[in-house]
Amino acid sequence: MVGSKSSFSWLKFIVLAIVLILFIVPFVLLLINSFKDNNAITSNPLSLPHHFSFSNYKTAFDEMGYLSAFMNTFIITTVSVLLISLCAAMTAHYFVRNNTKFNQITFLLMVASMIIPFQAIMIPLVKIYGSLGMLDSKWSLIYMYVGFGSSLAVFIYHGFVKSIPVELEEAAMIDGATRTQTFFRVVFPVLMPTTATISILNVLWIWNDFLLPSLILVNPEQHTLPLSTYSFYGTYTVDYGPLMAGLVLTILPIIIVYLFAQKYIIQGVMQGSIK
Amino acid sequence: MITEKGVWNRLRSRLLFTGPTLFAFLTVMIVPFFYGIYLTFTNWDGISTTHTLVGFKNYGAVFKDTEFWKSFGLTLKYVLFTVILINVIAFLLAYVLTKGLKGQSFFRAGFFLPNLVGGIVLGFIWQFIFNNVVVYLGQKAAIPLLSASWLSDPDKAFWSLVIVTVWQYAGYMMVIYVAGLMGVPNDILEAASIDGANGWTKMRKMILPLMVPSFIVCIFLSLQRGFMVYDVNVALTQGGPFKSTELVSMHVYEKAFLARDYGLGQAEAFVLFLLVAGITLLQVYFSKKMEVDA
Amino acid sequence: MKRFKGIQLLVLSLLVVMIVSACGNSASSSNQGSSEGSNSGKDVKITLLNSKGEIQQQLEEAAKAFHEDNPNITLEVQAVPNGGSPFERASALYAAGNPPTMIMLDTGDVEKFKDRILDLSGEKWNQDAVANATDFTTFEGKNYAFPFAIEGYGFIYNKAVVDKAVGGNFDPSTIKTTNDLENLFKQIEASGKKALVISPMDWSLGAHYLPLAYAGQNKDMAEVNKFIDALKAGQVDLASNKVFNGLMDTFDVMMKHNIDSASPLSGQYERGAELLGKGEVGIWFMGNWAWPQISGYDTANKQYGFLPVPISNNPDDYGNQEISSAVSKRIVIDKEKSTPEQQAAAKKFLNWLVYEQKGQDFLVNKMNIIPAFKNITLPAADPLGKSIQDYIAKGKSEQSMSLLPADHWKQVGASMQKYLAKASDRATLAKEIQDYWKNVK
Repeated sequence: MVGSKSSFSWLKFIVLAIVLILFIVPFVLLLINSFKDNNAITSNPLSLPHHFSFSNYKTAFDEMGYLSAFMNTFIITTVSVLLISLCAAMTAHYFVRNNTKFNQITFLLMVASMIIPFQAIMIPLVKIYGSLGMLDSKWSLIYMYVGFGSSLAVFIYHGFVKSIPVELEEAAMIDGATRTQTFFRVVFPVLMPTTATISILNVLWIWNDFLLPSLILVNPEQHTLPLSTYSFYGTYTVDYGPLMAGLVLTILPIIIVYLFAQKYIIQGVMQGSIK
Repeated sequence: MITEKGVWNRLRSRLLFTGPTLFAFLTVMIVPFFYGIYLTFTNWDGISTTHTLVGFKNYGAVFKDTEFWKSFGLTLKYVLFTVILINVIAFLLAYVLTKGLKGQSFFRAGFFLPNLVGGIVLGFIWQFIFNNVVVYLGQKAAIPLLSASWLSDPDKAFWSLVIVTVWQYAGYMMVIYVAGLMGVPNDILEAASIDGANGWTKMRKMILPLMVPSFIVCIFLSLQRGFMVYDVNVALTQGGPFKSTELVSMHVYEKAFLARDYGLGQAEAFVLFLLVAGITLLQVYFSKKMEVDA
Repeated sequence: MKRFKGIQLLVLSLLVVMIVSACGNSASSSNQGSSEGSNSGKDVKITLLNSKGEIQQQLEEAAKAFHEDNPNITLEVQAVPNGGSPFERASALYAAGNPPTMIMLDTGDVEKFKDRILDLSGEKWNQDAVANATDFTTFEGKNYAFPFAIEGYGFIYNKAVVDKAVGGNFDPSTIKTTNDLENLFKQIEASGKKALVISPMDWSLGAHYLPLAYAGQNKDMAEVNKFIDALKAGQVDLASNKVFNGLMDTFDVMMKHNIDSASPLSGQYERGAELLGKGEVGIWFMGNWAWPQISGYDTANKQYGFLPVPISNNPDDYGNQEISSAVSKRIVIDKEKSTPEQQAAAKKFLNWLVYEQKGQDFLVNKMNIIPAFKNITLPAADPLGKSIQDYIAKGKSEQSMSLLPADHWKQVGASMQKYLAKASDRATLAKEIQDYWKNVK
């Protein structure tokens, strides 16, 4: 009885392991081939590299302008993520605590806007901000991320703020704190787990985003990692080796963060879904 | 309800708390959205310095553009399969991974991995896999099904898109289901076991009804992503072979930028918005109803 | 208490910074332009948006060499991201208010930018350009674009393979009809190699192969244009058109002997270059731009050349002995955002390419470009360019279709792919092409 049960769970374990390998194999292939030259890659994509040469990485690192692209991506991602969290938390708090008709409608509008496909906004956005001369700047891009990201963030915060007992804040206000003080002293700390969730979701989105930065950041000096990886696609051909290395370099920072913060990231996503 | 004394104080907190967000939201989402609607009534080609109003001509053209409806139909098919497969696989994984299996958090982390990379990157990785790796394996092992690139056959290219999408999102939805399953109170299940309910009965009578909120979220998310998919489509198949995998976002993009018919492209984007909005609202409405009934 | 005021202040100032930095950016970018203007005679920075990805590196080197000759001018070469067309990129850059000084456009796109680019009619190189080089970029008597490169396409043969197949020195002028071509295919196959590879990319089939059916209608370009107008008006029945059918008869022969006939759509561009260079096939339908890739696999001691695509079995029919070629890339100069100094510097660069020895060397020997200028007498550096030049010199050239609608390659290319995969027949193909033209804007 016990035996059959444990062999069943072994079976499950093996099936899971196989599925997991299927999930991870693309990354392994990417890593292996990033050390090989074009010929070796096309003639046998499964073979291990003969010797570990970092020449692809060197090429990729130089051609991508990795350091500058990394810094751009880093600045854009962190500033956007911080701003989105701060602005959205405040707005959600205000909406919950001042549940007027106007605020309800605004909130609904924000929620509804989440189903607008980006394609429907893309071109007018470029046209408007282009005519204002606001393209080709990190700060404009960050500003747009705040605009695009705030809906979902407000939506998630909204659910959590509702669960905070209003008495907590009333107590602070009776002590003479203003709304702003109450928010930063009482509410924002309580919302920390939610902030973590939202930040994680936004980091994953902004770090990897391609279409929006490709429209906004024209000058190569402003390019983010996904944009500069793209420069490896030739007009007719693809030089696989450096491209693979470039892709590894692009996702490496986020993988490293994931290795260390994996538990929190998964928990964060989990919390984001239970409203 | 918190209110300040005095109009000025109230206005100041409103501006401070909601000003930045709403300003960014309005100027980045809403204004371009309505400006886009305006552009659908013009004949702008994307570059010329002038354009003229053409009334509803572009909307008439949307309904005549058979390619648009064909790619919309294909997108519906794509959404149907991806939503079902993503959610079934995600739910099964989540179910198994909440049973206290050894290393289950390791497994969860592994399944979530594809979500760390963006569409362009994974589109490329998979293009390489389908064009090079699978073909290499197929030729070595003499498996006809795998010896020619899947991306060069209309049906198989479609399924390649589905596979990559499922691979990409199953882990994410799994995490949401895990969260939902952990919220199912254990004592109820134990009580049911004592009453002699078997696994399937427990699943049908207790777990599934309690999981309805998770299903709503996951189906909503996978619907929305399915309809708007663009970068995987571009990076994996470019819509080929012979436009057989051109999903609707890509069609809209090409109408605007490749065919230089900006007004029509934008009109199609707007029609797409209406259709998607309709479908997702219906979904939320019916599942909320289900939630109430259950 | 004070601390909280501080936070409030912080939030407000963040907001202010956000708005100011956004606006400040617009101010700074316009300042940049004017400050560069006032520094005239000193340093000028100009940019070129390159849409020939395969010569990106060589262009960058040319920019450096140009800078050495003109120390006060710095030229930066930007690339069009792959997957995007030069038009798409250039219009995005214009929308962003940040166009490059020079843009390399496809011929058909020049007119769209007419209001934003400089009239170049006064430049000296207009007199030295080959015949008809600027016809398509001249509007109301003004030429707006610099003809950058002549490109030609047809069947590229690997001389080592075909020599062996015909048992001796292969003479390309012996192939004048579809039957001749099929015989050559059979001879190659008899020698133990595969005859040819058809690269199934939509741009190759839709922008190069099929347009031969339009260009081959008549030697007179005006008649070809009339044919296109008739297509738009829906008055052409392709199914009964002699040139179209002849071209597709040749395509049927190609399909029969295609090395990839089992899976005709799976090949990629690189594969064609590899198969031809390694001598596994004798023939590949492609253009002279493919030389860098072929040379990477070369086993024929750089002996390659072109065969025209026959469209009938009558050797004297127009197109059977002519190779399709045209000026395919144009450089235009922005006049909206660039300063007079930048414009002058850009003009100087174009003149440098045409008249300076160094520039000519880069153009011909480094970038493997066939120049569109009579004064450049350097022979083409690669066998493919040389072959095209020979055809042009002998008067055996046919104007490629340069002004097709922007999405023609994609739409018609898809129909051709379908035909290649045997997922449609000739009647369907003819109908799809006719439908495309009827609906095109």
